[in-house]
Amino acid sequence: MEILSTSNDLQKLNSVLDSFIVQKTIPSLRSILEEPITHHLRNTQEIPLINLDLIISNLEEMNIMSAVYIKCVGDIHMGVLLYLPEEESKTLAAKLLGKPISSELAGIATSSISEIGNILTASLINAISIDMGYKICSSVPGYAVEFFRTLLEAVVSDFGNEFDTLVVSNVELHGVNSGIGIHILLIQDPSEVKKLVI
Amino acid sequence: MNNVIEIKMGGLEIIDDETKELKTFVGSCVAICLFDLVSKVAGMAHIMLPKKSDGTKFTGKNDIGKYADEALSYMVNDMIQKGADPKRIKAKMAGGATIFAHESETSIFNVGSRNIAFLKQILKENNIPLVSEDTGENFGRWVRFNLHSGKMTVTSNLKKFEKTI
Repeated sequence: MEILSTSNDLQKLNSVLDSFIVQKTIPSLRSILEEPITHHLRNTQEIPLINLDLIISNLEEMNIMSAVYIKCVGDIHMGVLLYLPEEESKTLAAKLLGKPISSELAGIATSSISEIGNILTASLINAISIDMGYKICSSVPGYAVEFFRTLLEAVVSDFGNEFDTLVVSNVELHGVNSGIGIHILLIQDPSEVKKLVI
Repeated sequence: MNNVIEIKMGGLEIIDDETKELKTFVGSCVAICLFDLVSKVAGMAHIMLPKKSDGTKFTGKNDIGKYADEALSYMVNDMIQKGADPKRIKAKMAGGATIFAHESETSIFNVGSRNIAFLKQILKENNIPLVSEDTGENFGRWVRFNLHSGKMTVTSNLKKFEKTI
């Protein structure tokens, strides 16, 4: 299994993505949730497809997640998967819509979660475009409620990369007052890394 | 001894020991099993995509099950080498779900249905009968194939069901 990125490249990519998240993504979420946001870019690693289980934690394996997937194409090819436990997503939807979500997420509530995905992804690709001049388009958001294993499998399959490995950056955003935690996976081909670490 | 062989994403395994089982997990990917129950030879592939977009052969060493066209060709050849009769080879498959729903009708995330359609086409071209399937829908599936019985067991943790096909 050939790993194409050096640890130096991955470290640099981690820093570059972190700066874009700080510049644009966090202010966007802070504005939407009207509360301070903390963030943690856990790591950026190149993972063999056959070892994707390594990024599935026990917690994620046991909880049903509410998720949004957006595919970015153009000068940069990136998959963005946002997810949070289904129960927490009801809290998020309730906060966005200004009314409690009593039963299953549906209709306007799922749209509100998709919209969060849309806004956070747009903020990130805007930051990349402004800073590096790349032209990037994002797809309509796809919404799902499933276990993380299924979400990851679907995203990796859709991403359709030609390599044995994927570069995955793992981001966590937390609303300080509400406690809402949004996880974001940024997925790229190893061949894309150099575009962002010039 | 562990008798269950777990197949990772894009992986493929062939067995000729009927005490063993093949197992994988699929969402929009497809688990396809080819088997000859007389010779007791079977294979399972975790298909991610119909075929490589640029038309070249795969470059990976561990993802031989990744592309439908290459995986099926490899499986049939390897099964014949292990004693399977091509006239007796049959197929079962599961997966190919559309996990992400879209408000737009022009969904680009339809890899599951593309995988299913392409696999059916290749099976037909190779005269391999598809005897049963549990495909489509919008949930992930654990899939097990038992070579002794020829049964495929499909389980969904989300929908809380188990069925044998």
